[in-house]
Amino acid sequence: MWIRQLALMGLMTVMSLPMVAVQARAEAPLKIVATTGMIADAARQIGGDLVTVRGLMGPGVDPHAYRQTRSDIVAMTRADLVLWHGLYLEAQMGDFFHDLARKRQVVAVAEGLPKDLLRSHDTYADKYDPHVWMTPVLWKLVVIEVQKALTEARPEAADVFAANAETHLAELDQLIAYGESVLVTVPDNNKVLVTAHDAFGYFGQSYGFEVLGIQGISTQSEAGLNRIGELVNLLVERQITAVFVESSVSDRSMRALIEGAAAQGHDVRVGGELFSDAMGADGTYEGTYIGMLDHNITTIGGALGADVPERGMAGKLSAGS
Amino acid sequence: MLIDALLLQLGYNATLVAIGATLLGISAGVTGTFLFLRKRALVSDAISHATLPGVCLAFILMASFGGDGRNLIGLLLGSALSATAGLWCLNWLTRNTRLAEDAAIGSVLSVFFGFGIVLLTVIQTMGVGRQAGLEGFLLGSTAGMLWADAMVIAVGGAVTLLLILLIRRPMTLVAFDPEYAAARGLPVSKIDMAMMGLVMAVTVVGLKIVGLILIVALLIIPAVTARFWTERSDHVVLLAGLAGGVSAYVGAALSASAPNLPTGPIIVLMSFALFMISLLFAPNRGVLAAILRHFKFQRRVHLRQGLLALAQGQPIYENLTLRLLRKGGLVRADGVATDKGKACAAKALRDEHRWAVVRSDQTHEAAAALYDGLRKIESVLTQDQIAEIDRRIGGPQEVPA
Amino acid sequence: MLDLACSDGRVKQGQTLEDSPLAIRGLTVSYGQKPAVFSVDMTVEAGKMTAIIGPNGAGKSTMLKAALGIVPPVSGQVQVFGKTLDAQRARIAYVPQRASVDWDFPTRVIDVVLMGLYRELGLLGRLRAKHRAKAIECLDRVGMGDFASRQIGQLSGGQQQRVFLARALAQGADLYLLDEPFAGVDAATEKAIITVLKSLRAAGKTVVVVHHDLATVAEYFDNVFLINTRKVAEGTVSEAFTSETLQAAYGGRLATAQVDKLALAMG
Repeated sequence: MWIRQLALMGLMTVMSLPMVAVQARAEAPLKIVATTGMIADAARQIGGDLVTVRGLMGPGVDPHAYRQTRSDIVAMTRADLVLWHGLYLEAQMGDFFHDLARKRQVVAVAEGLPKDLLRSHDTYADKYDPHVWMTPVLWKLVVIEVQKALTEARPEAADVFAANAETHLAELDQLIAYGESVLVTVPDNNKVLVTAHDAFGYFGQSYGFEVLGIQGISTQSEAGLNRIGELVNLLVERQITAVFVESSVSDRSMRALIEGAAAQGHDVRVGGELFSDAMGADGTYEGTYIGMLDHNITTIGGALGADVPERGMAGKLSAGS
Repeated sequence: MLIDALLLQLGYNATLVAIGATLLGISAGVTGTFLFLRKRALVSDAISHATLPGVCLAFILMASFGGDGRNLIGLLLGSALSATAGLWCLNWLTRNTRLAEDAAIGSVLSVFFGFGIVLLTVIQTMGVGRQAGLEGFLLGSTAGMLWADAMVIAVGGAVTLLLILLIRRPMTLVAFDPEYAAARGLPVSKIDMAMMGLVMAVTVVGLKIVGLILIVALLIIPAVTARFWTERSDHVVLLAGLAGGVSAYVGAALSASAPNLPTGPIIVLMSFALFMISLLFAPNRGVLAAILRHFKFQRRVHLRQGLLALAQGQPIYENLTLRLLRKGGLVRADGVATDKGKACAAKALRDEHRWAVVRSDQTHEAAAALYDGLRKIESVLTQDQIAEIDRRIGGPQEVPA
Repeated sequence: MLDLACSDGRVKQGQTLEDSPLAIRGLTVSYGQKPAVFSVDMTVEAGKMTAIIGPNGAGKSTMLKAALGIVPPVSGQVQVFGKTLDAQRARIAYVPQRASVDWDFPTRVIDVVLMGLYRELGLLGRLRAKHRAKAIECLDRVGMGDFASRQIGQLSGGQQQRVFLARALAQGADLYLLDEPFAGVDAATEKAIITVLKSLRAAGKTVVVVHHDLATVAEYFDNVFLINTRKVAEGTVSEAFTSETLQAAYGGRLATAQVDKLALAMG
């Protein structure tokens, strides 16, 4: 009698082992390596606890110039999923990713965007401006691509990913609304955004700003002396009073611009530091995508004469931002 | 647009860059001349490449201590320190190992530069922010030239030129004859170090405008250009300063006049253009002058040989000789001498006899040294001296018909 | 007033060490591990012309250069007119070998001679007419006055040698050290140089010459110093320039007939 009970218990234990195993495997987080901080943030938002994300390019790092280190390569070859931006942002790493795609799952999350929504590149006829994260409208599409990639890598968690994505997309909608409401109050003749490189094209497109960069779309292009002279004349002519430096690009050219304008008797000040190709410090609000855009919108709006809440959309911006 | 640029009408920034570049060009040209004379041109390349690790380490240090990683004075100080280290390694290698100087230069250059590139890669992964801009030291970044930078260049350039004025004589002596200089009690190795120190100063000051990869061009090309125009070392120094200044000025103006023209490389190209012009057209040492001299010489030789042949009744075989004689009206179409030709031939023969006397006489040594088969003896001796010689050799001789 | 004993303990007779223009004790110079000059003593007699002779590679030039501090010695003491070398630099004139210079260097004959006046001019002193005149005078003494504006590469070997001598003359020194001045020069140059050297001796100056031509030693010089890595002999020509000393210095490299011929010439 008791032998039969024992045998039954044993059988049930044995039969439940596979399920335990499945559970155990499913609980190991998905290892993701992402290039830019923005993609890493998107992956974290969507993946939540189910993923560990390693971002290669930290705050203040310029993706146009980034060279992968050996430890980066090791991390990428051991990852379950590698996410990069594409659209020629990490042009110098392109060959590497194409090689890597043969061995691991590699997804260029911005490549899938419909081309009619993209600005064309200033130097290469068949390429596009990669700075699509500058407007949340386009970034939403990228987030969806990230969700797709994550789902493909771990189909069992598709529901979790979908739910997280929905939450995040809703937050992005909030951001879009905030941006529109703030920037519409900028006086029309102030709607000129002068920055170190041409990263804010999509931002300009979204909010009706004219965007002028000292360097072109890539920071690898030389900041020409002629361009500085041209911009100085523009600043004076149009009586532009605020320009912006970027966290990942040297501010020397901007300072030269300001000196040049001052020599013509026109005072220009730095309206603030923007996050162009990289986000803020890790662990801070500005170190997330939403924080980054919030900061940009608030800073730009504030400097150019809009009515902005000092601490941004949700009062989370650090003081003196 | 270019004219405006050359006349400094293109605005504050362009003017600042043009003036800064010119000051740099002058000091680099002058300093580089002594390098060139001392045959140490490539050491400047090693020095400039050795600045990179210093710049990176200075950045890392300043950023780790919470300061602004891109403080220019700090970065330049760092570059100077690592350049000094590179120089020290170079000296040590050539003095204490069996490595020849060029191999030592190559080693130091590549090792230091490689280390610098590694540091650049390390920096980009530091979460410090704002590191972009260090790579501007490789090829220069004049778009970011500020008033403070121009001041650094002006002061650095002026101090360098002042020091060179002070030690130009010892440096020239050491470059020309280091053994004699040592015998005179000049501290040869210290003077060499001072020269290298000045080169380093120019390099560090020039990092912003032309970058470390190209500064060697600014040091050497003007000196080489100037060499074509003069045989006096003090003039070479001055002309090199001029060449450096002009090419820097024009290059900076050019880069400001049109979009997408990087200043540093354009300055180097201007420098090279001056070099090419000198190579081709310099009056004594230029290629064109040499070619013209050759042809002129060839004609004179043929003419003289032809006249001497006529004078001595020998047949003339070479067509060029006959052609030249005919063109000069010295010979008729059939090869027979005209009256004018006979007179010239007689004179030529007489001059040969006069020269023979001069060359055998000790008292006319300076004149004899000028004999090259073609020189007119009247350009070397006075009429009285020639008359004296004539007395010795007798009257002119008849030319055979 | 140091008492520099010879490496064999003797002190040269008839001359206090204080006034010897050049006194060398225990000089050893080596390239790597191989000694070129080993423990050499030399005391130069003032107001005379001394020849340093020996086979090729015997260390003659090296000895001179080490004495002047141009190459670093392994050991040795040098005194010039009784004091250290550095204290007496102004009184020494050095004429190096022609081959040590790049003759394409952009400088004219007169510029080279003016280099002899750099000490006088100092770092910033202006070049005046009197300096030029002095330079021309020195060039005239060597017979090169007409060549003042030539670039040095345009000169023949002998003329270059004479320009170096003119540079040394411009210094107004008391001790003249010449490294193979007669090597590869024409007869006119040789005559010009030896005339100048003799006039220097007549004026009470001391001349030391690294000499390569044994046939002219007796004719030109008062004293000789034979060296073949080690000192072989030192003294007047009649004392030290004998067939024994020559055989000792040159080993088997001189045929006996040659030596006899030389000895006969001295006879």
